[in-house]
Amino acid sequence: MLVKTQYFHYDGEIQLQSGATLGPITLAYETYGQLNKDRSNAILICHAWSGDAHVAGRHSPDDPKPGWWDDAVGPGKAFDTDKYFVVCSNVIGGCGGSTGPSSINPKTGRPYGLSFPIVTIADMVEAQRLLTDHLGIERWLTVGGGSMGGMQALQWTVSYPARVRSAIVLAATARLSPQTIALNEVPRQAIYADPNWNNGDYYGKTPPNAGLAVARMIGHITFLSDASMREKFGRRLHNGSEGYGWRFDPEFEVERYLNYRGHSFTKRFDANSFLYLSKAMDYFDLSYGLPSLADAFRKVTAKFLVVSYTSDWLYPSWQSKELVRALLQNDIDVTYVEIDSNYGHDAFLLEVDRLAELTRDFLRRVESAH
Amino acid sequence: MTLNGKRPDLDAIIALIPPKARVLDLGCGDGELLARLIHERQVLARGVELSEANVRACIARGLSVRQGNIEEGLADYPDGAFDYVILSQTLAYLDHPTPVVNEMLRVGQRAVISFENAGYWRTRWRMLRGQGIGGDLCSGEARARAITLPQFEALAACVQAKIESVRLFAGDKPVRAFPTWQARIAIYVLSRAQAMV
Repeated sequence: MLVKTQYFHYDGEIQLQSGATLGPITLAYETYGQLNKDRSNAILICHAWSGDAHVAGRHSPDDPKPGWWDDAVGPGKAFDTDKYFVVCSNVIGGCGGSTGPSSINPKTGRPYGLSFPIVTIADMVEAQRLLTDHLGIERWLTVGGGSMGGMQALQWTVSYPARVRSAIVLAATARLSPQTIALNEVPRQAIYADPNWNNGDYYGKTPPNAGLAVARMIGHITFLSDASMREKFGRRLHNGSEGYGWRFDPEFEVERYLNYRGHSFTKRFDANSFLYLSKAMDYFDLSYGLPSLADAFRKVTAKFLVVSYTSDWLYPSWQSKELVRALLQNDIDVTYVEIDSNYGHDAFLLEVDRLAELTRDFLRRVESAH
Repeated sequence: MTLNGKRPDLDAIIALIPPKARVLDLGCGDGELLARLIHERQVLARGVELSEANVRACIARGLSVRQGNIEEGLADYPDGAFDYVILSQTLAYLDHPTPVVNEMLRVGQRAVISFENAGYWRTRWRMLRGQGIGGDLCSGEARARAITLPQFEALAACVQAKIESVRLFAGDKPVRAFPTWQARIAIYVLSRAQAMV
């Protein structure tokens, strides 16, 4: 499946949750499959922290890597592009072609850096709403995603209840826990501590790659689980080495893995975007300013598929159960499954067989309801 | 739990539920009862089920089911959210039946509870012969409590529930005489006798 990234430009400004404004805005997006005549088969996939608009397929026949969720999006897959028109857009604040801190601020002609306003999950959804209007889609059949993508799906049901028939919320939460905020703060501190970060002003100079690599390493620890690390690495040493080297170089497979992942991440991701997106998640709390979480969903009419994974300690099952409870308090149609998996938070990307079955069955019911 | 693979209580439960009722099935298994209730009674159906495989089977049937244990499943619903809350052949497996029955009467107008009567004469006969109650220990079946009709009625009294109706079966035939001995399956419909203080 060959795809091309497209760009939507909005010349106006949007009002952000913080009160600041942002504009003009560019959103990078990709589409797969065909929009049907009555425009009722459109699915919006929302990406997680380090994702982008390129959810599936390849950009050229010799493209070495497919999109980030190619296992789940494509012909005959969980989000079947033979049946559905699938859209994925890069969030604002990101660095995958949408407006973010590395974009040029039209007022100064220089990259925004830290003058980029703080954006929230609701602001990301507001930008996606502009794209939705541009694509002529009145109502999404479903908005779905994992982790930060699941938060956007939830936000869609709250911000635009009439424009979402259903939501698929994987490994996510309606509000970040203190543990997860803590696990976001340490990576931010790693970036601040890199002198190359220079208060976000590093474009055209050496970027804070050391800080960003450490930040990403911490991230990868939180995406795995105790069990998956034991399974994947054990105490094995790199290169099949039989004994210890008695030095500080990374020797254990798990160290090599984290170092490799950390450093390869710096080639494709902007440190400031990393900071802005982590802050957007920390601020995410649908009950903010309300008496209870249940109050957030008073006007919501979408049907929900909520999935958590037993070994996910970043967004543990209790958070999905808290969400389910708030939805049920509003008499909302919720299906909740806790998938037994050792893959930790990454399970939402990896357990695609069970997800495909759930998605197919769930969407069939959503489509049959009026 | 099946009797020679049949669930004679399901037909009887379906007969109790009026059309278009709001129904919650606790421990809904693979969703057979809920699917039949939707088909035969056009109910608004919701289920709670512990096993992931069963939840997925329910979703495959097009049902709206949440995974979880019965206690947490019940706590999530507001007062009076359902017309009927069903507990079919699951009472014997609960560690604490009293709070569950109480909660059923909080979230539902009526509770429908079916269970195997441990006072059934064949069961008593098995006990007399020293064969015990329930399946073989090596069958892997969860620990079940033996419940008799008077025991259940005492439970209803202790949660101040009114017994609205009782249906008793041996095989698929209704039982008329000597119910505490003759009934193999009991289906009780409870409602709240008075407002709880």
